[in-house]
Amino acid sequence: MTEITTRLTQTVKGAGCAAKLAPGDLDKALCGLDLPVDDNLIVGLERADDAGVYRISEDLALVQTLDFFPPMVDDPYSFGRIAAANALSDIYAMGGTPKTAMNIVAFPAKTLDISILRAVIEGGLHTLREAGVVLVGGHTVDDHELKYGLSVTGFIHPEQILTKKSLRAGDQLILTKPLGTGIVCTAIKAGMAGAEVTDRVIRAMATLNRDAALTMRDYSVSACTDITGFGFLGHLAEMVVDSGQGVRIRSSSVPMYQEALEWADMGLIPAGAYNNRNFRGTFVTFQEGIPQTLQDILFDPQTSGGLLIAVSSGEARDLLKALIARGMTDTAIVGEVIEKPKDMIIVE
Amino acid sequence: MRHELDCRGQTCPAPVLQIRDMLEKETPPFITVIVDNEAAKENVSRFLEHNHYQVSVEQLGSDFRVIATGNSGTCEIMAPADLQTDTAARKIMVMMGTNRMGHGDDKLGAGLMINFLKTLKEMEPDLWRLIFVNSGVTLTVEGSEAVPILQELDKDGVGILVCGTCLDHFHLLDKKQVGETTNMLDIVTSMQLADSVINI
Repeated sequence: MTEITTRLTQTVKGAGCAAKLAPGDLDKALCGLDLPVDDNLIVGLERADDAGVYRISEDLALVQTLDFFPPMVDDPYSFGRIAAANALSDIYAMGGTPKTAMNIVAFPAKTLDISILRAVIEGGLHTLREAGVVLVGGHTVDDHELKYGLSVTGFIHPEQILTKKSLRAGDQLILTKPLGTGIVCTAIKAGMAGAEVTDRVIRAMATLNRDAALTMRDYSVSACTDITGFGFLGHLAEMVVDSGQGVRIRSSSVPMYQEALEWADMGLIPAGAYNNRNFRGTFVTFQEGIPQTLQDILFDPQTSGGLLIAVSSGEARDLLKALIARGMTDTAIVGEVIEKPKDMIIVE
Repeated sequence: MRHELDCRGQTCPAPVLQIRDMLEKETPPFITVIVDNEAAKENVSRFLEHNHYQVSVEQLGSDFRVIATGNSGTCEIMAPADLQTDTAARKIMVMMGTNRMGHGDDKLGAGLMINFLKTLKEMEPDLWRLIFVNSGVTLTVEGSEAVPILQELDKDGVGILVCGTCLDHFHLLDKKQVGETTNMLDIVTSMQLADSVINI
């Protein structure tokens, strides 16, 4: 096998979910669109959730999602795995079971060796196999930058859908993966991240949220989302606003890559983090003394981030223990849902 | 001298890396970085602060100019040891805020000014830079008796900087005969770099 020496992150402008269009711009493009109506569309665009859900029968619904982005790591196989884990994550966050997937590929055939594309797709297949999902097709276009992702379809029981909008006051919030992947990937792109932290962040991003999703099924979970491009506080703000509740976050309990604090201080912050802060900052009150770098990490766009789970306070400890026992060792209880102030995130 | 990086069109982390590469080679007392997006502005400011620079930001249309002043750089310049033991030329800067010397009689003042500029070359080689602002700029334009004197100084290597805003104010932008058009950043930077500033 020939060795691939191309550093993929050097070939693209944005990286991973940090390359997402700014949320404010997206809102402008989508607001007021005339959408087709169908009674069987249970979760659709009008209240954007992690994935769309369409009822087929009383006990079966389709859950669909799509995610793709430019590489955030240099190794093509790892990029494929991460992109697949990230795409599948939305299905898990809704409480669904993914079944089929299709590749979406943009590839610069003029500048990158075709073996790179093969390695990316093999990485994606690796993760699909792990998830028990079949690849049913795909579409590839010639483009000036590499992008890869998948459209995933799964099944879900229409009465067991976990949306973002059903937070209950008193619930505890559990986060299953450390924050800071956007900053760490910026450091990777800058050539400043060592092998150890690079491996650690790749492993976390390539880890499916399946086990977390399966584990939470046995508990009284009120709402769930996965943390991706809008960052921890961006996604949390959506939950809070859609639910009409407030949230208190204990920043010292939030799992994060310690290296990201140092890199944030050096200015290795993806533009997406600033977009997220500009768009959702009004929903967040930082208590005095919360360092800027910590705030940055809370807004940092995540690629294939963990699940953020709201569970009844009586069961929170047990769910935490169960998640850690299944290998999600970074999992932590990071805050709680409060009735007032409504629509507000307080970071302590 | 000044270090200016134009990082427009670059996204994170490219501008930060460019500055890092520069700082690996040297530690300039002043760095100016021009960027065209909010994230780069924030990141560049942080990186420079992280490297112990004092940072300020100016908005230039849709671009940002990040200006960094290094503590260590300033200390080196200010160090009294440098001033006393340095046998090389000192840097004397003359701030020309007027076209007349002294107050009282304007006609007398205009004559004194020409004489002053003629005599100024006695300061060489310590004479480093002349900066013309406000009515001072009229000394550098077509028709002023001072022009040949200043051209002589310019030839000797004395820096002649002329305030662009002031030329514009007096509608003299196309009449300037000597020196380089300058801005406030250059003026402030010069003041900081100079060993002595003489204010006329």
